[in-house]
Amino acid sequence: MVTYDDRPAKLFIYPAIIFMVIGMSVGVFMAFNAFVFPDYFSGEYIHFGRIRPVHVNTVTLSWLLSVNIGLMFYFIPRLCGVPIWSASLALWGGALWWFTLMIGTNSFPWGTNWGWEYAELPMWISWLPIKALFAISWLLIVVNFFMTIATRRFEKLYVSLWYSMGTLIWTTFTVLVGNFAINWLPEGMSRVNASWFYVHNLVGLIYTPMGLAIAYYFLPKLANTPIYSHRLSMIGFWSIAFFYAWVGTHHQIHGPMPQWLQTTSIVFSIWLFIPVWTVVHNLMATIQKDWSKYLQSAAIRFLIMGVIFYLITCIQGPTMALRNVNEITSKTDWVIGHAHISLYGTFTFFAIAGVYQAIPTMEQKPLWSNKLADWHFAFNLWGSLLFLLSLWIGGFLQGLMWANWADGSSYAEFHDNLTRLPFVQTVSDMRPWWILRAIGGTLILFGNFIFAVNIYNTIVLKATEVSETPEAVRVRV
Amino acid sequence: MNQKDEEKKRSLASFFHKVDFSAVLVIIGIIILFSTAVGVVLIAPRYVDTTWVSPTSPYQVQMYEIADPNFYMSSASTGGNELQYVHHLKQDFTLLSFKEFENLRIISNPDLDKYITRLQDPELKLTSKLMMLREPQGEMLEKADQLRRNLQEQKVDKKNEKEKLSKINYQILELYDPQMKEAFSIDPSGGILQDWVDKNFIILDEDQKHSYHGDYGVIYVQNPREFRIIPQKVGSHERWRYDPNGHPIADIKELTGSKLGFYSRKNLIELGEQIYAIEGCWYCHTDQTRTLIEDVVLNGSDSFPAPPSSANEYIYQKITFPGTRRIGPDISRVGVKRPSRDWHMAHFWAPKTASAGSIMPSFQHFFDNDPRGTAKNTIGIPNYRFEAIYQYMMTKGTRITPPTQAWWLGKDPIKTKQIIQGQRKLQP
Repeated sequence: MVTYDDRPAKLFIYPAIIFMVIGMSVGVFMAFNAFVFPDYFSGEYIHFGRIRPVHVNTVTLSWLLSVNIGLMFYFIPRLCGVPIWSASLALWGGALWWFTLMIGTNSFPWGTNWGWEYAELPMWISWLPIKALFAISWLLIVVNFFMTIATRRFEKLYVSLWYSMGTLIWTTFTVLVGNFAINWLPEGMSRVNASWFYVHNLVGLIYTPMGLAIAYYFLPKLANTPIYSHRLSMIGFWSIAFFYAWVGTHHQIHGPMPQWLQTTSIVFSIWLFIPVWTVVHNLMATIQKDWSKYLQSAAIRFLIMGVIFYLITCIQGPTMALRNVNEITSKTDWVIGHAHISLYGTFTFFAIAGVYQAIPTMEQKPLWSNKLADWHFAFNLWGSLLFLLSLWIGGFLQGLMWANWADGSSYAEFHDNLTRLPFVQTVSDMRPWWILRAIGGTLILFGNFIFAVNIYNTIVLKATEVSETPEAVRVRV
Repeated sequence: MNQKDEEKKRSLASFFHKVDFSAVLVIIGIIILFSTAVGVVLIAPRYVDTTWVSPTSPYQVQMYEIADPNFYMSSASTGGNELQYVHHLKQDFTLLSFKEFENLRIISNPDLDKYITRLQDPELKLTSKLMMLREPQGEMLEKADQLRRNLQEQKVDKKNEKEKLSKINYQILELYDPQMKEAFSIDPSGGILQDWVDKNFIILDEDQKHSYHGDYGVIYVQNPREFRIIPQKVGSHERWRYDPNGHPIADIKELTGSKLGFYSRKNLIELGEQIYAIEGCWYCHTDQTRTLIEDVVLNGSDSFPAPPSSANEYIYQKITFPGTRRIGPDISRVGVKRPSRDWHMAHFWAPKTASAGSIMPSFQHFFDNDPRGTAKNTIGIPNYRFEAIYQYMMTKGTRITPPTQAWWLGKDPIKTKQIIQGQRKLQP
């Protein structure tokens, strides 16, 4: 009988949950202070441009990436049948990780933004090489995982381990390109191209494989049924490996990029349908055997809703890459909606499901309140729908308003259109949608506050009597 | 050595032995696929598409590499509300022209006469010999008076008697050789564009002094006059102001020192780019005119569409901000659409007032408090951050083509107007 040392997993998951609530609070603050009541609280350190990177980096790095690593610390040893290769290395790495992120992500209001999307962490804060420390702590984690896999007892590699290994390699190279190599390239479009490569791979080759590894591990665990097809999951894995690295330029459709590069990215974007359908079919077919489990467990609901959102985001993504669709959706709030359905609707939902399974197992006591978990899901689902739909509809309408300027056949007509509908008008027309977005965001934040309380009580409070009703048993795997 | 350490050692040694075939395949496969993608989409394009590294025009190169580093401006906190713009002239480097106009005439010693471009001269005469203009002095004073009288009489002869009342006041300046290797000249306009000539010009040097003098067109400084200052007391503060009879600037250190506080335009543009990153402007403003009718119209002038952005516009930027979201208007042509410094001052101070319906936050930290409250407006005194972001924005759209071929004058180098009106389709 192997005893697993779960301290590294806890070191990543517990703070991540706190940072989720903090990061989302910042997001809700912005939704009101920058859009609904623009610049109500104003000033150098609090205006939208300086607060936005705090929100983005807190939720992407301090919450999503960290909780994913925490969950990997949980399931990789369990899938390998050995304890983590070096717990002390993991703890030191984790300490460095949090030290770096806490300073890095909160430094932006004081003017440390590095200037490239998703790579905002500064190179230096005073004498602290933030980017380098971040990279080092990541490498410590990578070494640890690879050594655990190399020394495993179970010979067969489950698909989650494939995805984990993939993400360990991809993340390393992607972070290297987007944060360091970008400065070695010639100025101008070479750097822009590398930046989009990084931005897209951050989602496609970091969060996607991590999220799918989590989904593939936790869905069978939660539903207590084997995965539908291991072979199908392999097809999904290899097609992700093949397609994702090519699509970065689709962020620059119609931009100052050569047409062949744009077309390449569009073609590969369309091919992304393959990995998506395999994943969606595989996970859906797994739960297909017993849909009643969906009703019983909030964790399973999160996971399955995540799969549905994954399907939507991955229908949107390739479609938005098409030139004619891109003309309308690009540079509008549709894009913000798309970013949130993938990182929030999909991968955060997966991670939450993972946390709901991992915490009770690690603590060896049931979840404090299943009722609260149900409410958590309800708030998240309805909040997300309101949030996402308002951004999609509002963004699409704004795109149509812009396209209206191109109505006509002479420059005089085009310019006349612009005079009748000035740019600033299309911005103020977004206000109702921004109000709905802010309400949706508030619902989500409230739901996640409940989640944090629930997890806290699970960890801290004594287990109530162990009852043998199915409701209580369902989270004790 | 305890048992645990030994175990670890063994596991390291047997890493490749223990990793089974499928795991090796995973690692090798991932690396091959990933590096192919990197090769094609990241490394290849800049060798395939030359515009990724080559400049748009010699004008762009000369603006960034010749003009900007040698163009200095004072800041409002040291130079008062009237900013001073100064060229740093260098012997054998800066091209100068001494050009006469209808009411501006130039006199000189006979040996410098050949450098003056007279009214009737067909070609603009340029030289990299460091000379400047000044109010006539000594014996030149008499010569100037003589010339002025002659000119006024000529004018009277030609027209009828009634116009005698409105005498034209001719300005007569003396061209002189200050015998210096470098000097500072004042630029009264402080313009965003630099003087540029690409036809009917001649460089009067014996041999080519700098490689840029061989380009098909060149940036030059017209009619330079020395920048001189006198000290001034404002309350208890030691200040200074421009005065043609004051003392000259000793060297670049004095100009950029704490007393005068000049910044070069190059420094300001680089600083502006950093501020653009730090303030997060790029989260709401895109910096690309896409190949879409709505974009060339949005960024166009009243009568002419803006040309779509090309890759080489950005080759002098360390960070480029193409942007994902357009909550504010695109900035890739702002130097042409909104060149006014006053407009930007008012707008940064209170965007919601300056443009109704805007949700842009105010950037009052681009301004310092007016300690004595005597400024003419309610806006604070713009500090270096404002000057930097303003200079950065003014590079946008103004450096794609030389001013003589500017799109806003109806010159249409890539046929934007023709394309959007005719086929309604933009070429690749």
